[in-house]
Amino acid sequence: MSHSKLASIFNKDEKKVDWHDKALWFVRHKRDLSVHQVKGWESLRDLGHGIKAHMLSNLDSYLQEFEKNAQANGVEVHWAANGEEHNQIVHKILKENNAKKIVKSKSMLTEECHLNPYLEADGMEVIDTDLGERIVQLAKEPPSHIVLPAIHKNKHEVDELFQEHLGTEPCDGDPQYLTHEARKHLREKFITADAAITGVNFAIAETGGFVVCTNEGNADMGAHLAPVHIACMGVEKIIPKQEHLGVFLRLLARSATGQPITTYSSHFRKPKDGRKMHIVIVDNGRSEQLSRPDFRASLHCIRCGACMNTCPIYRRSGGHSYDATIPGPIGSILSPGKDLTKHSSLPFASTLCGSCSNVCPVKIDIHSQLYKWRQIITKETPQPFVKKASMKMMGTMFSKPSQFERVGKLARWSLRTLPKSVINAKPNTWGKERDLPKGPKQSFDEWYAEKRKQE
Amino acid sequence: MGSREKILGQIKANKPESLELPAIDLGLFDEGLDLLQEFTKKVEVVGGNVIQIASENEVQAKMTELFPDAKVKYSTLDETEAFNTLSIEAIQKPHDLEDLDILILKSDIAVAENGAVWLDDSKIPMRVLPFITKHLVFVLEEKSILGYMHEAYANIDDFGFGVFISGPSKTADIEQSLVIGAHGALSLTVFVKK
Ligand code: SF4
Repeated sequence: MSHSKLASIFNKDEKKVDWHDKALWFVRHKRDLSVHQVKGWESLRDLGHGIKAHMLSNLDSYLQEFEKNAQANGVEVHWAANGEEHNQIVHKILKENNAKKIVKSKSMLTEECHLNPYLEADGMEVIDTDLGERIVQLAKEPPSHIVLPAIHKNKHEVDELFQEHLGTEPCDGDPQYLTHEARKHLREKFITADAAITGVNFAIAETGGFVVCTNEGNADMGAHLAPVHIACMGVEKIIPKQEHLGVFLRLLARSATGQPITTYSSHFRKPKDGRKMHIVIVDNGRSEQLSRPDFRASLHCIRCGACMNTCPIYRRSGGHSYDATIPGPIGSILSPGKDLTKHSSLPFASTLCGSCSNVCPVKIDIHSQLYKWRQIITKETPQPFVKKASMKMMGTMFSKPSQFERVGKLARWSLRTLPKSVINAKPNTWGKERDLPKGPKQSFDEWYAEKRKQE
Repeated sequence: MGSREKILGQIKANKPESLELPAIDLGLFDEGLDLLQEFTKKVEVVGGNVIQIASENEVQAKMTELFPDAKVKYSTLDETEAFNTLSIEAIQKPHDLEDLDILILKSDIAVAENGAVWLDDSKIPMRVLPFITKHLVFVLEEKSILGYMHEAYANIDDFGFGVFISGPSKTADIEQSLVIGAHGALSLTVFVKK
């Protein structure tokens, strides 16, 4: 289904859309307050961009350096060309360790690879331990945001879910009570887990270590209690040196939620004696994206979610309308690289206002890339007849000033005189959910000419 | 081995020409912070609490006063025999720590700009401790507070596991209402020795 069709499903509940819109804008606002306090913020963003660009241009050597150092630290390193291979590797490690109960902290990569259903098919229990992720897992839904996975759910829905699955008391959606109950429920899972799976925010070539950021402490509860820790990362998570963490950790949380840093920034380097640590390095289309000069900067992304919070389309259409693991503006430039036909509507889910590029901590030119994907998609995928025909008509119209003037006159007259039922009739999509302005008597050209004459 | 070679080969073929690695100029960020004041402010912003002390001896008394009902306590400060109710050596599995009420740890790196405190294996007798405890306490000297993350990393070298902790654990996953106490500590107190 196209983005606009899925968005119209989300838009059926108008009150919810309003709440969603405001809640995310509030997070964007917190981001602003926080970054305006940082002296040299723009230089920090430039550094973030520059370090990532340098990393991508030497990625093969940094990956090998990382592997060598990680192995020297006693960590086992695995390579997966695609999602399927990633799942097989994780499954094999779990089998070898006789692991049946697995706790997982947030990892968009394992979502991308659909790891959970793969492991569950073999009778393993996989528990997502981030509260938001646990909520959507219980609801059997995918996350709708990369930092706030359950932002599309209201507290009453969570209340009902918890009553059904965790046996909680009805509480009118009290977040304090519900969070506390989730803590108890997940404590038990942490204590009895056979293995922990985490994502990776940054992997440092120089040291072979990696960093995982959370606010809840769930990655650490999992990784330190279970005998086996598997960390899964995309190839682009590499950064050259430890000192670069100083740049990225300053950028990440401020951009994500406005916090000065996440509560926990955990640096894993060596497993504890008697414990096992594995890293799975995954490509799954990333090296292909690297080959596209116009789009390779999308691999700079540090998954802060800022472009989603600020996007006027995302806020009003919800993450599920993108039908992709990574929604929002960044998702709309990543997904077409994976499957152009399936995701062909995504680059059009934008006003091209550029707000995403403005907030992106690693300065990805998101809106220009959206525009570039549009060019490719219009050429390479079949366009709906109405769109093609109307574009052609517009093209001819704009090419001749006299014609443009005539059409303009007619349009202004129509907007002034025709009844609303005609103006907002179905073929006019601009008339959906909004009233069109009253047509002015003069065009700008006429107004300008008249003013000049008067002067 | 197959996939490793394939991935590296593809990356090598597809990567752009080498771009220069930018250098970090610390002068761009320095705003001459009052370190203790900024640190205190930021710890409070993230939901924690800073208490200034003249000597480490005050810490345990203060904690007993703040949490009179705490039963299971552990501290790595000197002369804590009377305070500690468990011995780490006797713990068979980290899971036995589930009832830990108060944990007191020393640190010698803290960051003013974000209220974070650095701990590594040399400061944590068992890695899960600072996450599993209900109330977390750090003790550090004022001179350990650095301005920015850049300076902190310049002072961190060899470790097996290390963590920056800024405030108690938290979540806002239910309708964006902030709740303190997700999976980790329910409260965080930092004692700073002047
Ligand atoms: S594209 Fe930029 S703003 Fe969007 S999630 Fe990635 S890093 Fe954040």
